[in-house]
Amino acid sequence: MSNATQSQSWLDTLLQVLAQRSGQPAGQRAAQWAGARDWCWPTPRNEAWRFTDLRCLTQLDPARLHTRTAAPPWPHGLSQGSSRHVALQLDGHGHWRAPQGETPFWPHGLMPLPTEETTPGQVARTVISSETLPLGAQLNGVTPGPPLALQVSGADPVHLALAIQMEQAQAWLAPRVLLVLQPGARLCLSWHVAATAQAAVLPMVEARLGTGAQLEEAAIAWGCPGATFLGSSFVHQSPRSVYRRTNVTWGWGLSRDEPFIRQAQGQAETHLHGLAVARGRSLLDTHSTVFFDGPAGQLRQCHQALADGRGHSVFNGRVVVPRVAQQTDASQLSRNLLLSTRARIDTKPQLEIVADDVQCTHGATVSCLQDDELFYLQSRGIGREQASRLLQRGFCEDVLQRLPWAALAWSSLQRLLEIPVPDQP
Amino acid sequence: MPACEPSPVQTGDVLLSIENLHAHVEGNEILRGVSLRIRAGEIHALMGRNGSGKSTLSKVIAGHPAYTVTAGAIHYRGQDLLALSPEDRARAGVFLGFQYPVEIPGVSNLEFLRVSCNARRQHRGQEELDTFAFEDHVRDTMAIVQMNPAFLERSVNEGFSGGEKKRNEILQMALLEPLVAILDETDSGLDIDALRIVANGVKTLTLPTTATLLITHYQRLLDAITPDFVHVMAEGRILRTGDKDLAMALEQRGYDWIDGADTPQP
Ligand SMILES: Nc1ncnc2c1ncn2[C@@H]1O[C@H](COP(=O)(O)OP(=O)(O)OP(=O)(O)O)[C@@H](O)[C@H]1O
Ligand SMILES: [Mg+2]
Repeated sequence: MSNATQSQSWLDTLLQVLAQRSGQPAGQRAAQWAGARDWCWPTPRNEAWRFTDLRCLTQLDPARLHTRTAAPPWPHGLSQGSSRHVALQLDGHGHWRAPQGETPFWPHGLMPLPTEETTPGQVARTVISSETLPLGAQLNGVTPGPPLALQVSGADPVHLALAIQMEQAQAWLAPRVLLVLQPGARLCLSWHVAATAQAAVLPMVEARLGTGAQLEEAAIAWGCPGATFLGSSFVHQSPRSVYRRTNVTWGWGLSRDEPFIRQAQGQAETHLHGLAVARGRSLLDTHSTVFFDGPAGQLRQCHQALADGRGHSVFNGRVVVPRVAQQTDASQLSRNLLLSTRARIDTKPQLEIVADDVQCTHGATVSCLQDDELFYLQSRGIGREQASRLLQRGFCEDVLQRLPWAALAWSSLQRLLEIPVPDQP
Repeated sequence: MPACEPSPVQTGDVLLSIENLHAHVEGNEILRGVSLRIRAGEIHALMGRNGSGKSTLSKVIAGHPAYTVTAGAIHYRGQDLLALSPEDRARAGVFLGFQYPVEIPGVSNLEFLRVSCNARRQHRGQEELDTFAFEDHVRDTMAIVQMNPAFLERSVNEGFSGGEKKRNEILQMALLEPLVAILDETDSGLDIDALRIVANGVKTLTLPTTATLLITHYQRLLDAITPDFVHVMAEGRILRTGDKDLAMALEQRGYDWIDGADTPQP
């Protein structure tokens, strides 16, 4: 059997299994959700998947999938709720619970949306109107489970900390989060996703930012070599809204992160800062897309990747600036540190610019550790290993310093800071 | 490397002994037979035209991997220095103050200094300093070079002015307490006050049991720190050695008058 047919039959089995669980015929739910009758399994011939092998995902056995989670190792102080802060963790039934197990106490400014007002994919559809949803979102859609749907209001920032911990093999989690930020509302969202077993997590985030709203998202995602992360997020920005996303990912056998952002009428700010640390045989792929649908939008994007061992980092940064988006100011930088001859970096800007009065810059650098920097540290008595570690961490610092304390407090990140971390917890 | 120092140094002990050292980089021979002996309690000055090989000599002593030693030897306290890694040389007490200190973005100066100081302390059998103890220690030490503690919060040398980098080098010297300090043009780029401060710092750190090799182009530094020996380097060799008067003569007459004069080193 070829790889393609193998994957197709894996997908068919998966869809059947998921459909049985949701009580709907497989085809129906899949089609309903994806808006596509035929699922198209990505192959290397598909440009967007050229470098990204899905075998880590298809090694899971569809018949044995379950949704069990473990208790996340919350840092001290972070799991306590307060009038401005709520911490939630995913339980084994796909529900978000407070760490003590009770239903959450919602701080002022955060309100669950009634289920009838939430249709999965409602924001995603407005963000990528004509395109097919990415694989992660499609698989998320066919997995039964309740969404976490919240409305955010008020100019005082609300803090929402979400944690997912997977410790049992064959876990398959597809959390859905929908956030509706009212005009002027402010939300600080932090994620901690960890997988220590051969499992898959496919989070899907949809966020609608009203005029002048601000969403600060910090995500830490780390897995073990057999674990797969397929994340997708869809952010719809109104004028004067600000979206900042900082994410740090490492350890996964396969990670594919696909943020889509649409500045619906331009005049908004988007800041994307990503760090991927690919060691061992880890494959970490980020495919981001930012659409500008109006004038005077701003994008600041920096993706940093460190590849060692046989690690592989893939970055594709798509920026779409049609004629209506005059005076767009977008900059994108991809900075890479290549530490071994067998490691690999594939990085590509994808600027689709039609408007003529714009300022769009992009750049990519790939370097290795600088001999002069290493020698300087060594000449101060610092051993080569430790010198190398300091330099690697120095490279990561640009992104790490953007993380809020709520993210920095996780012990997993402390281990990453002492790079190189063991991939296993 | 042994984890502790050999017996204590006495004034007059030979600390560094360089014999007929030849070294090349990328196929070019830069050092062509350097010999030099430095004893505890001595201050040596090394002068010479641009490109004569002074920095190369200092980097070979510190163990820079770009340079290959093709002949000769360096002994430090009787031990084969060339057999040691750069970090072991530093731990053992050899210090190089760089002519061009390297900027290292993202690495905090404070942490760098702490890791470095602890590496040397560990080698000397002293207990390592934790973050709090080190911060006290470094703040006290910074007074020697009158450096603002705000520099601790920044990345190593990143965005430091020329003079600030040089002060940071002397701060590192103060923290590492070397037995042999080679200061490569530490005076270049310093304003008049800074030069005095740095010179005083170096004097404070110079003990009867340590030795200093000052690489410089200017008399000004040697007015502040009187050298016992002045060496002139040319084309990868030490062409002449004298006392502080040699430096004065160079200041007045330039290098031309010793060129070609084939005076062997005394
Ligand atoms: N890494 C290198 N690659 C090529 N040439 C080098 C390298 N390092 C030193 N050299 C050459 O070796 C010679 C000596 O250089 P060095 O830096 O030792 O001179 P210097 O005496 O310190 O000069 P200055 O007074 O200008 O600091 C120069 O001609 C220089 O170009
Ligand atoms: Mg020099």
